[in-house]
Amino acid sequence: MARSGDRGDLLAAGLGPGPVREQFASETSADATWVAAARDGDRAAFGQLYERYARMVHGVLLAKVPVGEVDDLVQDVFIRALRRLSTLREAASFGAWLAAIARNVASDYHRRSVPEEPLTDDASDNEIQCGMSSEDQDGSAAAIFDAVMSLSEAYRETLILRLVEGMTGPEIAARTGMTHGSVRVNLHRGMEQLRTKLRTDLRCDGPEQEKS
Amino acid sequence: MDTGNNRTENRPSTNSDDYLWDRSGEPDSEIQRLEVLLGKFRHESPPPVFPEVVRERRWTFFPWRMRLFPALATAAVAVAAIVAMTFLVYRTKPTPTTVAGWDVSSVEGTPRIGEKTISTKEGTSRLGIGQMLETDRQSRASLQADDTGKIEVDPSTRLRLLSMGSGLKRIALDRGTIHTFIWAPPGQFVVDTPSAVTVDLGCAYTLQVDDSGAGMVRTSLGWVGFKLNGHESFIPAGAACATRPKIGPGNPYFEDASAEFRSALARFDFEDSTPQQRAHDVAIVLGEARNRDALTLWHLLARVDEGQRVLVYDRLSQLVPPPATVTKEGILRLDRPMLDLWWNELGFDDISVWRHWERSWVGTATPVREK
Repeated sequence: MARSGDRGDLLAAGLGPGPVREQFASETSADATWVAAARDGDRAAFGQLYERYARMVHGVLLAKVPVGEVDDLVQDVFIRALRRLSTLREAASFGAWLAAIARNVASDYHRRSVPEEPLTDDASDNEIQCGMSSEDQDGSAAAIFDAVMSLSEAYRETLILRLVEGMTGPEIAARTGMTHGSVRVNLHRGMEQLRTKLRTDLRCDGPEQEKS
Repeated sequence: MDTGNNRTENRPSTNSDDYLWDRSGEPDSEIQRLEVLLGKFRHESPPPVFPEVVRERRWTFFPWRMRLFPALATAAVAVAAIVAMTFLVYRTKPTPTTVAGWDVSSVEGTPRIGEKTISTKEGTSRLGIGQMLETDRQSRASLQADDTGKIEVDPSTRLRLLSMGSGLKRIALDRGTIHTFIWAPPGQFVVDTPSAVTVDLGCAYTLQVDDSGAGMVRTSLGWVGFKLNGHESFIPAGAACATRPKIGPGNPYFEDASAEFRSALARFDFEDSTPQQRAHDVAIVLGEARNRDALTLWHLLARVDEGQRVLVYDRLSQLVPPPATVTKEGILRLDRPMLDLWWNELGFDDISVWRHWERSWVGTATPVREK
């Protein structure tokens, strides 16, 4: 159980040794090798980075832009990263750097969109809506996705990486550069809110209004 | 050993938590169902064909280059002599420009770096450490640094670049408006204003400073920390916060709060009111507060007197109940760990991010100019 004084531990969570940490530490080392090779023009090495990080980038974008735009924007993110690779100072920070580019691309997308919608209303941009599909399962998936998108930004990004992209908590932390503590908090609280929302909202009876 | 399984919540571990974290423990049927249903949105596109990357040039001494060595050596000596002469002649007039800096381009009109004007035809110029960028009423500029972010500068703005290292990147906004989108790691980009220091925590925001030095920050993505004279404010996406010289940041608020709420808050934060007037303003804020205005009430806890703190505590508890380990007594004596735990219940972001970065930049800060 965490105590109030454990805030430092929260920050340090995941920084100690352990098999999961070591697994991702070796991946970070491979990232550095691939980044160096990609800087030298090795497209196969950049392909390896794509394989490892595409789901993370997809998840980050899915939390911020309409579903139909995500695949194109994933490509934009990687192409932008490839062109700027020489500016990346610490190859070990490739994931955090790439996540920042993805968020930037999402922001650019919203700036270009006219009329501009508030970022907090992203969920309403998505074409998938409750009961839209004729297939029950599709409709159910869409409604659940809408529920995830109605959560706050931090929770929805982490939950999408976990539930949609199938990444584990340690993997999310390693790929995005977030601390284990932050990922864990986001997953736990986001899941709690999602469960509550699904219990009360999943009757396809319209979006929840904020209680005034 | 720590693989992130530390309890960050004040309750015992459950199998459901473990399954959610890393799929260990007993599977949670509801999470499994969500994984199956939401898996249809998963990334499945094949990798695109990436463009050719220009290979970085590396010097290698092939034999034919060796034959050029005497000529190259002579040329190098000549260049060194010219550089040395130039240095000797001009060293009495040092220029503040350094290699580190931001690329500046004109979006409209003719912004100036020092005395040099930049036009839209010129491409980019460099804003070096110690230099000042100024836009007049007809000009706008755009700044970009690949490893930091992008800043759009509105008309009638003056800013200075203070530092641009691999760690802290710092500018001073003397007046005007900037729109920032920062992709440097949280806590590395700092803006000094005459009335507060803003710390980027992974976000996009707009910062305004008027001629009196009063400021306003509006966050559109992520969140921002605002600090001066022991007052600190956390401004999540959708919220705003004003600052005043010698007072520092006020309480942050959502701009869709009622007009009465915002007016009372502004009076409380910045007017030289009597205790009775302040109590009246606090009563209005508490009465008008909606669920999301817990943001403001949480900040208010540390800024009201002890008598009013009980009222703020009670109202905030109604809006967002505190975690089980947070006590009323603890909050009333402003126990920081308890305040932080309660903040984490508000649903904005984990405050430990701020605490971590706060330690990293406090102490390196240059004094804020006060008018």
